[in-house]
Amino acid sequence: MEEQRARVAEDAHGRRAEFDDIVVGQVLGEMDWVVTEQMIDTQCAIDADYDVWYSLSSPWGGRIAPPQISYRPPRWLLSRAFNVRGLFYRWEMENVRPIRPGVTLHVIARVSDKYVKNEREFIVYEAEATDPDHQVVFRTRRTHVLDFVERTAQRAGSGIDSGVKAERI
Amino acid sequence: MSVLSHASDVGLELPEFACQFTLAHFKRGDEATIHTDMAAAQREGLPAPVATGPQVAALIFRQLRTCFGRGWIEGGRCELTFRRPVYVTDFCVARGLVRRREESAEGIRLHCDVWIENQAGEKVIVGTASGLVS
Repeated sequence: MEEQRARVAEDAHGRRAEFDDIVVGQVLGEMDWVVTEQMIDTQCAIDADYDVWYSLSSPWGGRIAPPQISYRPPRWLLSRAFNVRGLFYRWEMENVRPIRPGVTLHVIARVSDKYVKNEREFIVYEAEATDPDHQVVFRTRRTHVLDFVERTAQRAGSGIDSGVKAERI
Repeated sequence: MSVLSHASDVGLELPEFACQFTLAHFKRGDEATIHTDMAAAQREGLPAPVATGPQVAALIFRQLRTCFGRGWIEGGRCELTFRRPVYVTDFCVARGLVRRREESAEGIRLHCDVWIENQAGEKVIVGTASGLVS
């Protein structure tokens, strides 16, 4: 007998976002974000990515953060707007300037597209971070699939995990 | 110090970076997630816990920082597609090669194909990346 597959309907953070809830063009939100030395240490440890520039000093004076530390703030903004567990499908990033500890970055994100492919629902969002001089530090565009299970499956049950995470590195 | 320069040839293979992932790589406290817990993964329709995409992609980022140096931090670009799940005990290796050279107002940019293979030789992440060279 074939196993019944369902898409998770809810989790500890409430009802999971539906494809129809996602509005292309919607601003997900904005936030100020300051990378700390501790965050850089944590990011290097998570990725096992150690470099003199990240740990000691760099040509820009002092430490800089691994560029991939930029993953989280746009994802947090997505989570503030929509409860999406999802899986990461596509990651576009542009490193314009180094991310330096102690500098306040202003991050803004918006939904840029959504589409259906292989019976699965995808959301595309993009974000840009600027420094206090209004210079762009990084840009990114992400695609997440809302569910691993096909969209033809009904929604039912509660997820153990949620895509909504504590906002920390 | 960077591996690539304006003199690097199209077709040059990038240095490889590899990791044997374990469950411990993805643990964050006691939280049960699709990255650490079988039941949480299966509830989402996954056969087993999957690696977090950014942690696997970090192998490519190490590669690109090593290859481009400053040209990755200032002006680096990449587009990565996560083609299939990476499971938490997979072996992964980042590979790549220089595909194209572009001269522009910002300098010389090398465009590369980059990808990550698992222990079965399957490409789990594929994409392109570029950076400025001197």
